[in-house]
Amino acid sequence: MALAPLDNAITLDQLTLDPYPIYRRLRAEAPVLRVASARRTFLTKAALTKLVKDDPILFSSDDPNTPMKPAFRAHTLMRKDGEAHLAERRAINPALTPKRINSDWGPLYETLAADYIGRLPRGEVVDLFATLCGPLSARILAHILGIPEATDDEMQRWSQRLIDGAGNFGWRPEPFAASDEANDQMDALFARLAPLRKAEPDGSAFSVMLTAENPIPLSQIHANLKIAIGGGINEPRDAMATAIFGLLDNPDQLTEVKAQGAWNAAFEEAIRWVAPIQASSRLVTADTELGGYEIPKGETVMTIQASANRDEDLFENGEVFFVFRDRNPHQSFGNGPHHCAGAHVARRTVGKIILPMLFDRFPNMTLPDREAVQWRGFGFRGPINLPVVLN
Amino acid sequence: MVKLTFVAPDGSQTTIDAPEGTSVMKAAVANDVDGIVGECGGAMMCATCHCYVDEAWADRTGPREEGEDDMLEGAASEVNDRSRLSCQIRLTADLDGLVVHLPEEQL
Repeated sequence: MALAPLDNAITLDQLTLDPYPIYRRLRAEAPVLRVASARRTFLTKAALTKLVKDDPILFSSDDPNTPMKPAFRAHTLMRKDGEAHLAERRAINPALTPKRINSDWGPLYETLAADYIGRLPRGEVVDLFATLCGPLSARILAHILGIPEATDDEMQRWSQRLIDGAGNFGWRPEPFAASDEANDQMDALFARLAPLRKAEPDGSAFSVMLTAENPIPLSQIHANLKIAIGGGINEPRDAMATAIFGLLDNPDQLTEVKAQGAWNAAFEEAIRWVAPIQASSRLVTADTELGGYEIPKGETVMTIQASANRDEDLFENGEVFFVFRDRNPHQSFGNGPHHCAGAHVARRTVGKIILPMLFDRFPNMTLPDREAVQWRGFGFRGPINLPVVLN
Repeated sequence: MVKLTFVAPDGSQTTIDAPEGTSVMKAAVANDVDGIVGECGGAMMCATCHCYVDEAWADRTGPREEGEDDMLEGAASEVNDRSRLSCQIRLTADLDGLVVHLPEEQL
């Protein structure tokens, strides 16, 4: 059996600007491809991305040399397997269940969403990405985690610095200096708040982890909070912005979504169309085979869920935003043991609360210039601005 | 192959044939049974394959697996003593004819 073909043409800049035409070509021509610029083997078909993530033994998340480690000052559950991962994951799960969200948090999220949406100006161009999607995602997350004392700006800054550090594969010093500063600030806040969240349990992630019968070590509690900060703002922010864009850009669908109250379907379609987390890495632990090619032990494969979500084998006209698909088996929350812990929270906050409230408040919202909306990102992707007029 | 029937909350039934050894969740997903999502693929991480084992079959499907109780806490619909994660029910010849009921919602 042969090694997968090697590509020297695809650049990270191309992938950051618009990876979709490339993925479309790869699905047809080279679904298993070693991409030199990314130093990874890209998997672009849905069956292969799912297969890899469903097999954590052969395709490990464990990466002791990840830049995530210095960025988070911890070896986090994202990069662990088996029992080590499970113990930390189970510690935070109880704060993120649908029941907890519905019974304890629902009314608070409604109030927060109403506050942030209520502040938006009518009748002028406003960038919803900067004024709503980012700050509201940050605020809701701060409450879920049990650190509402952090400001929206702090939450967003810390998140971005953790992400930049975690993606610092060139090991340049500046991103780590920036993430170090963020870590200092987060650690100081966590230390200040821990006694409060312990003394008065409030169902937040911090509180749940601190007051568990057999708590995980404090260092891992901090690491879990940081993972949630790094991974819990961008995704709802980008999902929200993508959903708003998709609906405004397809007024017929928006009308139908309103008529049917199909906000959940709109949310699911948004994250299928442009997955907030586009790609993930897994380390190959034994010589194996994928799609007819030899995959040697030690190689890093990249599951491109962004591409899996548009795979012609599963989706008709996958390149277009269409809320009313018969089936939508997207992989945006991943699968396997690392399936997104925040999936229920995202579905409930963005899908059930924020989108319907926003379109109810501003029934005549318009997107004056769709070409003004810029999209960016290879690992994470979404609009980086969303100028609309609210009415 | 064993027969497997899913009963939706509205009473409508879907019967499928599934190979022994597979899980109820995988059989449902492979046959596009509405009402079982199984998003995490059977890793006990998403609680979107929740089902209620029909009373007549409760003895034969056996007790919940380790960790299943915790994850059922994360199910979107009401959990009762017949609740299982269908990814943890493996089909054997003994379960030929198994009936499971679907919850109101999974997400």
